[in-house]
Amino acid sequence: MKLIAADLRALANLPASPAGRRIVFGMGIGLGILAAMSWQLAALASRHIGNLVARDGADDAPLLGLLGHGLTICPVVATWTGLAMARQQLFETPELVLWRQAPIAAMRGPLQVFVRAVLVSTLWAATLSSPWLVTVLRQTPAPPLAYALVPIAILACTAPLLASMLGVQIVLVRFLSGRWLRLLLALVAALASVGFPLWLLLTLFRGGRERIAALSQAAADGGADLPPSVAAAARLLTGAATGEPTLPNLLPVVAWLAAAIAVLLVAAPLHSRAHERYVESDRPLWRRRGRWSTSLTANMRRKEFAQVIQQPGALIGFLVFAVLVFVLSQRNVLVADILSRHLLPRELRHTAAMLTWWFLAILLVLYAHMGRLALWDGRQWSLYVSSPAHPGRILRGKLQAIAVFLLWPLVLVTGAGVYFLGADASSLGWFAGFASAGSLCALGVVATIGTWPRLLRPDADGQILQGGRSFLAAMVMVTTFQLTMLPAILAWAWLLQRSARRQLPRAAVLELAPTALALALAYGLLVAALGTWLGQRNYRRLLAAR
Amino acid sequence: MTDTTLRIETRGLGRDFGGKWAVRELDLSIREGELYGFLGQNGAGKTTTLRLLAGLLRPSAGTARICGLTHERDARAVKQRLGFVPDTPPLYDYLTGRQYIALVASMWRVDRRTRDERTERLLHLLHLADVADELCKGYSHGMRKKVHLAAVLATAPDVLLLDEPTTGLDPGSTRRLKDLLREETQRGTTVMFSTHVLDTAEQVCDRVGILATGRLRAEGSVAELRAAHGAASLEEVFLTLTDGDAATT
Repeated sequence: MKLIAADLRALANLPASPAGRRIVFGMGIGLGILAAMSWQLAALASRHIGNLVARDGADDAPLLGLLGHGLTICPVVATWTGLAMARQQLFETPELVLWRQAPIAAMRGPLQVFVRAVLVSTLWAATLSSPWLVTVLRQTPAPPLAYALVPIAILACTAPLLASMLGVQIVLVRFLSGRWLRLLLALVAALASVGFPLWLLLTLFRGGRERIAALSQAAADGGADLPPSVAAAARLLTGAATGEPTLPNLLPVVAWLAAAIAVLLVAAPLHSRAHERYVESDRPLWRRRGRWSTSLTANMRRKEFAQVIQQPGALIGFLVFAVLVFVLSQRNVLVADILSRHLLPRELRHTAAMLTWWFLAILLVLYAHMGRLALWDGRQWSLYVSSPAHPGRILRGKLQAIAVFLLWPLVLVTGAGVYFLGADASSLGWFAGFASAGSLCALGVVATIGTWPRLLRPDADGQILQGGRSFLAAMVMVTTFQLTMLPAILAWAWLLQRSARRQLPRAAVLELAPTALALALAYGLLVAALGTWLGQRNYRRLLAAR
Repeated sequence: MTDTTLRIETRGLGRDFGGKWAVRELDLSIREGELYGFLGQNGAGKTTTLRLLAGLLRPSAGTARICGLTHERDARAVKQRLGFVPDTPPLYDYLTGRQYIALVASMWRVDRRTRDERTERLLHLLHLADVADELCKGYSHGMRKKVHLAAVLATAPDVLLLDEPTTGLDPGSTRRLKDLLREETQRGTTVMFSTHVLDTAEQVCDRVGILATGRLRAEGSVAELRAAHGAASLEEVFLTLTDGDAATT
């Protein structure tokens, strides 16, 4: 209980510090938005739910299905928590050192991780699923007991899965530990981190009245297909809503919870050795052994590459980004309208669609690349300041690496264009040209904003930090990049206007394209040169003594 | 006439943080090849002084000269001749020790042959050869300190500043560090280091300075300080000079 009390005390202390208040505020805003969206979704579905429940009055099946549908969100949340967060807690949380030193049971550490994971996932699951569950219960003459059982039902749908996932991870690491397993777990965690918000946006909160009606109907019909733990929890709520005795329905739920804890208790004693093996396996997957040159610019560039190649987490970030780009492309995000404009030549539609995906993709990585210029070297800042190296040479090395990294969205979108659009060579060529010009603009913006002294501040130890200005920095970065893209947006608006008047034959497009590409590349070079110049000025200021 | 053997010279050096002076009216004169120990309680201003000398902080008052040059006017020339080993080494977790040394050497424009020779020698001296191709992430605190020290020494600085260099080192490494510092001073390098370990200062330093609440309270060789305060050991001198401050702070 002491560990739980300590966690609760730490939570209670959060509002006492500015950093803690930021965490509470950020979490509150995030959950608040999700809760509002869930209520909105449930409110839109309430009429259909009411009809379905009323139509089959005496039959419990639709009610079971509808409640089960609300509860199926819980295993998804638990999967996300178990894979994305609990792994880090199981093997990397700093408290592990203390827990393993302390004269407490060996299984106490993993149990504490389980308690934390259950708390987090139940909070998220309740935010997402309780609006639907309450909306369904309100269509029935459910007594207050049914509402009181909602948290238990949610817990019953999250805890067993979490316990199983923690147990499996402990066993895997204990017996199969190695750098490949570590990489696999990190990859799965990264995919879960990206997959969950994608699932929220593309599945759970996808709007449309027809879809919601179909969803409600499918939910009402799907009572028989629920996973076992969800079915037990759904039966508990259904029984409570229809006035059945609670105890017989509660027993399976308790059995699921007990089984979950039993699974974890079997695996937990292995955690200590698993942790040791996890630490031992912390080696780079592949290390470049080449000799480093004496050129500082070349070495800074190599350093940035080495930090990606020698750090599995960073490499995984690039792979996860690829998955994200392909999922967005597969769903035709933002380009359905462009692709349906048949008055435009096919090459132009495909080029424009790919440029839209590229624009979206590059917006996602700009902030990360900005970090490479100063923020991620915060701890090394004293080395830079105390070195006699010209700031421009350090910056140039970093910008060269970023220029290469910025080609990744271009490569991915080219692949997505071929795969999802069937883009031909000419479309791909135009896309590559215009996206290269855009990448130059992005480089210029990153060089300027990523080094802007007002968005960074050295702390008392000389580290460079962004503190509370990270959101502002991201906004400034995105807005500036969008402003640099304004000529392209205006050109696109002009093209649409011409096509609407049927003044844009294919020949005219092909005639205009080389000039437009030359102008775009010249503009990109100008922005990159200006950005680099401003970045060098900023870097000199950042590297001056305080 | 300017004394050309002076490597570190401060006059009225001071730094305030929001109205609170961490260091004030500091006058130091440290010569070529001298090993100078900087002693003081926690918060006395030792690290701030070293950071001022390293050019990481700007002085709020006074001047600091390194090899006759100032950071304000000749920043790059000063830095070229200076090496600084902070208490928390600024290593890159995902570079190997050898890669890190190569990176630092390129910042100081050390040519490849010299770099490779110095690197091998230093890795051997500091018993790091076996781990030089491991990622810095896995190094202990003491190993991190030694790797950064090796990187700094590979640049062959004229003036070497070290903040608490023995913290986190095992006795063998501490001994090797002392020998290495002595060796460096024999080559003409000026070494200034801060420490709490009075024995180390007593064993290796040519002179020590005792700092309390930002002011230099005493300076001289260990023998001179003992004689001046009628004390049997450096520890007694230190406690005599700093106990009053401890009581008031």
